[in-house]
Amino acid sequence: MVKAIRINNLTKEYKDIVAVDNLNLEINEGELFSLLGVNGAGKTTTIKMLSTLIEPTSGDAFIYDYSIKKDEDKIKEIIDISMQETAIAKKLTVDENIEFYAKLSGQTNEEVMESKERLYKTFGLDKVKNKKASKLSGGWQRKLSIALALVSNPKVLFLDEPTLGLDVIARRELWKTIEEFKGKMTIILTTHYMEEAENLSDRIGIMKDGKLLFVGTKEELFIKTNKTNVEDAFIEMVSGGNL
Amino acid sequence: MKNSLSRILVLTKRNLKEILRDPLSLIFTLGMPLFMEILFYLIFHNLTSQFEMKYLAPGIVVFAESFLSLFVGLLIALDRSTSFLTRLYVSKTKSYEFIFSYALSMLPIVLVQSILFFLVGGIFDSSIFSFNMVLAILLSLVTSLFFIAMGILLGTICNEKSIGGISSIVIAGQSVLSGMWFPLEGLNDGMITFMNVLPFRNATILIQNVMIGINDVFKDFVLPLIIVLAYTIVTFVLAISFFKFKMKSK
Repeated sequence: MVKAIRINNLTKEYKDIVAVDNLNLEINEGELFSLLGVNGAGKTTTIKMLSTLIEPTSGDAFIYDYSIKKDEDKIKEIIDISMQETAIAKKLTVDENIEFYAKLSGQTNEEVMESKERLYKTFGLDKVKNKKASKLSGGWQRKLSIALALVSNPKVLFLDEPTLGLDVIARRELWKTIEEFKGKMTIILTTHYMEEAENLSDRIGIMKDGKLLFVGTKEELFIKTNKTNVEDAFIEMVSGGNL
Repeated sequence: MKNSLSRILVLTKRNLKEILRDPLSLIFTLGMPLFMEILFYLIFHNLTSQFEMKYLAPGIVVFAESFLSLFVGLLIALDRSTSFLTRLYVSKTKSYEFIFSYALSMLPIVLVQSILFFLVGGIFDSSIFSFNMVLAILLSLVTSLFFIAMGILLGTICNEKSIGGISSIVIAGQSVLSGMWFPLEGLNDGMITFMNVLPFRNATILIQNVMIGINDVFKDFVLPLIIVLAYTIVTFVLAISFFKFKMKSK
């Protein structure tokens, strides 16, 4: 099995806290891996280090054998990220947003057209393609934001709480879309919605205070915690059985 | 190199669209300075030579450039406050490419400002229509770089809430320290020296001198140009350094 990501003793320290503490993890190519944890567990910091947005204090991680410390440019060619907040150019239309990201990633005019068609089809964005991004509903904005992360056809996609703040229908629609990517690329997803992790993930990692408490399939998690759903199992893991 | 240039142009196009689609930016960069140009000319041009169009139009051009600090600063601060810029940091775009794109996107606006203020000025006083006016318009692109660099620096340091207040210091600096709105005769030597070592007055007199004609090349042109360029280069270097730092500390 090809390893898309190998994390070796990855640590990020700030002045008074250790946000990520000696993290070791391997993620297979094509896998959808969910990283769970309460606020401040270190999920977003981990994703930011892996996507080269911040530098680790110590340790290293390799994305298809490229080091996040030494091969930043190479990594940027094969990854993309959808942030917690919607990251779009609000005064541009949907069409202009896709074109902007496509051209920024170096696509030719022909490739830009192909990207537009592909994303219109996958996300149904053609219905709103001429609307300014600022005029879209929260659900459409988030869809566009995730669509933009796919413009460059990344081999590894980081989704940081992709459905945060969305209503239940918009969330389910996004789940459906994310499921379509499964197997086509490696996806690392962070979420607070346990149902999301349960439905979408091949494997789950649980973080607390910067440390990885558990890695495995949801079935392995159920066995370990003697629970029957991810939410109960998660609470069992992070509270140590005190809740 | 080709890829870098291509990224700069793509970013520039986006920045320009963002600014032009904000009606407030057009009001402040074009409407208000134009109103002041006409108003001050009509009221004062017979009272003091300072408000003759050959001095007023170049002064207004540089005054309007100071508003660009606000708009480029606001654009960067807003881009930083959302995840928009953070996501772009994951692309191969370098910090200097971001900076150049923000600066380049302002230059078409500067050109429109300069042409508009000189043309309208010429309607009131046709004697300003000359080859010197064309040179003054071209030189305004150079002086604008200082204000653009200030905006980029402030937008990199400040957040979207504080950028309005902080960048208004640049606008106030240009208003007061350029000496274009009041006679300098009453000021003491210390104050005039202070104004002469800062870029605001030098940017204004540079455009004014080119407009009215240069007598002493060093004193009227080279010296103020060197002072403005020195501030511009230092401010750009600081802006790129801070931007790079913020990219990694996000």
